[in-house]
Amino acid sequence: MSGDPSRPFKWVTVICSVVTAGFLVAAAVRENVSADWRGHQAVFRGILLSKAKDDTARATARNLPIEIRQVVVPALHTVDRCVTCHLGIDDPRMTDVPNPHRVHPKKLLAIHRVEKFGCTVCHQGQGAALNFEEAKAEDYFWDYPLLPAKFTEATCASCHDPRALPKGSAEKLVLGMQLFEQKGCNGCHKLNGKGGQLGPALDNEGLKTKHQFVRANLKGSQTNWNWFAEHFRDPAGIVAGSLMPMPALSQPQVEALTVFMLSLRQRDLPAEYLAPDKIDEQYARLHPPAPDGAALYHRYCAACHDTGLHSRWDKKFARFVPGIRNAAFIRAEDDECLAENIREGRPGTRMPGWGPKAGGLSDAEVTALVAYLRTSAPAMVLPPAPPRGEATRGAALFAQECAGCHGMDGKGVIAPALANPVFQQAATDAFISQTIRAGRENTPMPAFGRAGVSESQIGDLLAYIRRWQPPTKQARSQRP
Amino acid sequence: MTPIQEFLENLKQTPRHIRESAMRNGKAPETDRERSQSTLHNLFLHMQSVRTDRRSLRFAYTFGLGLILTASFVVLTITGILLMVYYKPGVELAYNSVKDIHFVVPAGRFIRNIHRWSAHLMVLAVFLHMARVFYTGSYKRPREFNWLIGLALLVFTLGLSFTGYLLPWDQLAYWAVTIGANIASSPREVTDAIGITAWFDPGGFQKQLLLGANYVGQESLIRFYVLHVAVLPLLISAFMGLHFWRVRKDGGLSRDESKPAPPARIGDRDLEVFAPTKTYGLMAVVRGRTPVVGRSPEGSVSSWPNLMWAELAAFMFTIAVTLVLSYFFDAPLKEMANPAIPENPAKAPWYFLGLQELVSYSAFMGGVGIPSIVLIGLGLIPYLDRDPRGVGIWFGGPAGRRTFWQSLAYGLTSVIALLAVTVNFGWLRTWFPTIPQIAIIILNPATVIVAMFSAWSLWVLRRTGSIRMSAVALFTCFLAGFVVLTAMGSIFRGPNWHFYWWPSQWPTH
Repeated sequence: MSGDPSRPFKWVTVICSVVTAGFLVAAAVRENVSADWRGHQAVFRGILLSKAKDDTARATARNLPIEIRQVVVPALHTVDRCVTCHLGIDDPRMTDVPNPHRVHPKKLLAIHRVEKFGCTVCHQGQGAALNFEEAKAEDYFWDYPLLPAKFTEATCASCHDPRALPKGSAEKLVLGMQLFEQKGCNGCHKLNGKGGQLGPALDNEGLKTKHQFVRANLKGSQTNWNWFAEHFRDPAGIVAGSLMPMPALSQPQVEALTVFMLSLRQRDLPAEYLAPDKIDEQYARLHPPAPDGAALYHRYCAACHDTGLHSRWDKKFARFVPGIRNAAFIRAEDDECLAENIREGRPGTRMPGWGPKAGGLSDAEVTALVAYLRTSAPAMVLPPAPPRGEATRGAALFAQECAGCHGMDGKGVIAPALANPVFQQAATDAFISQTIRAGRENTPMPAFGRAGVSESQIGDLLAYIRRWQPPTKQARSQRP
Repeated sequence: MTPIQEFLENLKQTPRHIRESAMRNGKAPETDRERSQSTLHNLFLHMQSVRTDRRSLRFAYTFGLGLILTASFVVLTITGILLMVYYKPGVELAYNSVKDIHFVVPAGRFIRNIHRWSAHLMVLAVFLHMARVFYTGSYKRPREFNWLIGLALLVFTLGLSFTGYLLPWDQLAYWAVTIGANIASSPREVTDAIGITAWFDPGGFQKQLLLGANYVGQESLIRFYVLHVAVLPLLISAFMGLHFWRVRKDGGLSRDESKPAPPARIGDRDLEVFAPTKTYGLMAVVRGRTPVVGRSPEGSVSSWPNLMWAELAAFMFTIAVTLVLSYFFDAPLKEMANPAIPENPAKAPWYFLGLQELVSYSAFMGGVGIPSIVLIGLGLIPYLDRDPRGVGIWFGGPAGRRTFWQSLAYGLTSVIALLAVTVNFGWLRTWFPTIPQIAIIILNPATVIVAMFSAWSLWVLRRTGSIRMSAVALFTCFLAGFVVLTAMGSIFRGPNWHFYWWPSQWPTH
């Protein structure tokens, strides 16, 4: 009928109704019928049938329901639907079939029952998902994407002490742990409350989300493991201004250290999930055995002081790091002075304090470190210091002989800062004058006594240097 | 007739009886009494008037926006109820329940997508609907109060959308609502500046009222949930009823009453107006066989089925658009909410991003000052512009159309220029780092924009001598400002609220 005012509306209604019906049907099919997991389960049913040896098995295979399967582990707050596709994960017959139907490698599920552990507590990933891309969840707004197989060992440490595991079971993790200790990472990074403070503490590195990493310069995959790998190759290239030395690491070592980083997780797992050796490890942390000075030195000191026999020019710090196992130095220092230096550090320099309140070392550990340093040379009886002389004469001499390295204001240029409060408190007059007199072997500090500086001039220098002494806590420096 | 025959006969007639009992007028009216009853007893005609002016059916007059809004609301109610069945409003449960809706609830992902897209569509349509009503002068007498009801509906719609934003409990939700709550506490900027926050803290009160705590947590989630699924839907339903009722009681859709409707046409021949007065009965059921039976002299058409088709078309259009969008684009769901890891940039929902852009200069002006000024200004329009001319005509005629284009150009250029200045040169704090905050509260881009727009509107008032023109100028300027600021906030602002031409230029962290 021409002139029907409803005609365009009728057309719109009809077209939109067709579109609506079409998309409703399409969505219903997409959401319910054509899901990937249904296909996987149908294939698995075929596999079961082909492997069935008797009628009961065949009947079971034929009757295998096509349905969503999930492992709910309330203790771990997980709902893992991985088994919807990985149907053969605990079926020992499934060794020669392609994934996702294959059995879990290494028979690990025999000791880690799926019903107790689920999947994501070890593998990470989005357990709730029902398709592989979202289960892997690398680019799906999920904090803990699926760990690639080469890093899966990382999560063993959540329940095990890696060193107590049978040989060959978490080799990368153990190697990473050893590298961490050997390379002196603790010199700058705290772990379990112990370590330097130049870098961030690493206790929860494995549970950080990618948003907690500086990724401005990270190329390629934005995963945490790629961040670690790239960062170990070139720390300052990833974190601008990083002082972290570039450890020369081979590819397997980078991988091992990455696994160790990913294993650092502060998780409160229920006690029934912890292996006995893990509980032993935690107990040992609270009740440490007698400390080993040499091991402590390598773990906490060697990253900066190296062998400690020579002073070392550090390019990143742009100054000399003193040789603290240098015999001339050790000879001149008494034990209490060494311990004080370790406990308090050198404020204003890169040397942090290591006492219980700072670096976390116990008094016993500091004592063990001092004992280790002492193996270089016994403490000598220092010749007495000359009386303090005239500071103005001392200043002139200081400007001429010392300021080049120590700085006119005593703040230190390339040599240690003499105006440092801890130095001023810990060093006795006798120590200072002996160092001026005899110098420091194997370091740029010459023996001024042999170069013609007299005892009275040393007294003048002493007077000048002591002008930087802080007003309080003078007890030690007053002693001869 | 034996009882068994009667039973069989009844059984046979049951479909017909059900049909007849469902329709209060089961059969075509035959008497005048039945004709009038067919109106009174028909739900559709109980809400709509019996006759509809042909001009009200013109698509280019309404764009069907009111119906799109109604349809979105219906879709949102239905999908919302379905989502409520699975959603659990607890901070430990909410996120996982949404994940379950996404992964395992049959078609759950699709239902959630529809809910999300309908919500966006509804917010967009509510702005467009208001602009349509404004530009056709439809707020004028006797429709002033319905304009106010419409404003309330605008606020409820934004409130519904905003409260729904938090429920997935993901990072997007958490930080958007944190921003929203901070906007609510923005009066503190003023009380801080004059140093009375310790005694008088309306900002802190508003924030606590909104969140039930000092931060976004379980209390806030329950509060938002109750608002979202009970309080606001009830309010909006009640106000919608009132809004529709007033539309009908105020004379239907606005139209140019000074001119008669174009005559009904059959083919290309004008129909002769055969009667100057209403001689037709209710429903215009006139006996006879002439071509004009069923049409009225005023060029109105029978609402049933003409209006019914128009409304059905708008409904189906809304649903179709929503379904297509929902099929191809998933509703966002980011990582679970984590108070320790702020999103950067943390952005409010898109319709608040214009305000957030202003908040970045002065929290008070952007968060409280401007919204209050705009809402009060909008509410006053029908009471300040009482000139009855131009109702039912887009922009009130060619002069208004000119004012619209000029004001649009002025609004766009002035706001873009202002933002260009702030992006390139900063604002007072950059130039005078020690300036007191109160100076910035008084002089910031938000107040500059208001000043520029008011000046323009006053100039138009003086030039044209028409309050209507000056209202068109002001409304258009604010509309342009809203568009520019919203685009600025949503597209061109990246981490730390720095300017970027495109999100792909954002630094990774």
